[in-house]
Amino acid sequence: MSDRRPAPPRVVRAIQWAMAGAAIVFIGGIITWIIHLIRTAWGLRDVPSASIGISLVAIPVFLTLLGVILYVFWGLLGDRSGR
Amino acid sequence: MAEPADHRDATLLAPIERTGPGFYWAVGLLSLFILWGAIAYWTQLDEGLGVTGLHQPVSWGFYVTNFVFFIGISHAGTLISAILRLSRAEWRRPITRMAEVITVMVLFIGAGQILVDLGRPDRVLNVIRYGRYQSPLLWDATSISAYLTASILYLYLPMIPDIAILRDRLGKRELLYTVLALGWTGSARQQKVLNRAIAVMAVLVIPIAVSVHSVVSFVFSMTLQPMWHSTIFGPYFVVGAIFSGIAALIVAMIVFRKAYGLEAYLKPIHFRYLGQLLLVMSLLWFYFTFAEYLTGYYGGEPEEMKVFWAKFSGPFWPFFWGMALANFVIPVLCLMRLGRRTVGKVLAASLSVLVGMWLERFIIVVPTLSNPRLPFGEGIYWPTWVEWGETAGSFALFALFYLLFTKLFPVISIWEIREGREVGVKEVEERVVSYLPDTGEPVPAESVRRR
Repeated sequence: MSDRRPAPPRVVRAIQWAMAGAAIVFIGGIITWIIHLIRTAWGLRDVPSASIGISLVAIPVFLTLLGVILYVFWGLLGDRSGR
Repeated sequence: MAEPADHRDATLLAPIERTGPGFYWAVGLLSLFILWGAIAYWTQLDEGLGVTGLHQPVSWGFYVTNFVFFIGISHAGTLISAILRLSRAEWRRPITRMAEVITVMVLFIGAGQILVDLGRPDRVLNVIRYGRYQSPLLWDATSISAYLTASILYLYLPMIPDIAILRDRLGKRELLYTVLALGWTGSARQQKVLNRAIAVMAVLVIPIAVSVHSVVSFVFSMTLQPMWHSTIFGPYFVVGAIFSGIAALIVAMIVFRKAYGLEAYLKPIHFRYLGQLLLVMSLLWFYFTFAEYLTGYYGGEPEEMKVFWAKFSGPFWPFFWGMALANFVIPVLCLMRLGRRTVGKVLAASLSVLVGMWLERFIIVVPTLSNPRLPFGEGIYWPTWVEWGETAGSFALFALFYLLFTKLFPVISIWEIREGREVGVKEVEERVVSYLPDTGEPVPAESVRRR
């Protein structure tokens, strides 16, 4: 084992939650983008049905991925039984 | 604390703990190719796409071929790993990580090809601001984003226990491993959370992977171009993707087996099973190719026939017949008898398939554009040093990313190997007993409960 000082737990915890935050921003950004394209298509009457059709599939997939990420972060970081 | 690595698995940590001269030589060599690619790209950025062989009517060449090829290879990972995990195939344990890494790396490289093909990468902002969802190109962007996100997650989740081992044992890059281990201690609750998340991802990633390559095929089949407008392009592309993915996985396994001395983990039996999968996919690929070309030929539509004959006996015949040789004849000859020299035969077949599948992507993209339905003039595509450089750089970048990954994380899942030793053997025995008919003979009580 190294005899170097370990990183302060607070810093580690902050980075870990920042990672979860980055996941929310990333997936939230993609969903916002998809909604923006639907609004644009709707506003221009430019076949909005195609946009809505794709988004009906894509948005739930991205939300499920975000759900898995948050479940793992919450489940692992929230467990204090082994410490 | 997470349990430290079993001393029997020290081989798996050795590449992370020590770096030999071979690593630096490999990085140096790959960097040369990447430099060539960087110079080529800079030239293209500076002078425009005119320095490439792309022109009217052939506006898609090596870049789009590489895009389809790399996205295809990405199916190695997640799809094969997920299917083996869900079917509880015990022989998966040493190979899933390598497969998952391939997926993530090639998705980055594949998506990058589109930016290169754009010529003006800043114009990608127009797609974000004004994209139209009735274009299959945008379906691609969406599905690849979903696949990349899912693949990164599916790679990362099973790595968490291994990262905890590195955190506790390695004594270097402590902050990185501590952050990424997410406080893993191996408690019952954490294991339950992780196993559930991996199971959800394994189920989710399969339809996403299938949709990605179907959507890649739609970029071609949704047009009315000769030999592109085909209803079987979706499954044809998916089959080709899995085919090339298995080949890429086998090559990666053999390279790292040799480089890191992993013979005890990657045994001939693994190559035999993967070789059999490759053989099945070769036959399936041949079936789809035959069906696709026979249907086109039987229809005899003049524009289709121009492309058909350009491939069969026209200027593209070396690529077409090279593809048939490399994707069907050589793999079948290598793989039909795997008694002796299994690893060598499987490697030869895999290398052949990789070449053949790249040719297949080329033969789909370019001949149709050379003989367009619209009244453009016909044209032949000759790539310049720019495209060759970018292609060499892309392959080298993939290899370098992979190599760097193996210096940071175990390329074989340590905890899954340990789980196999401690739980898997017993679990398989009980599972086999549960499959068999009851004969009235006494069976272990545990097995009866499971049934």
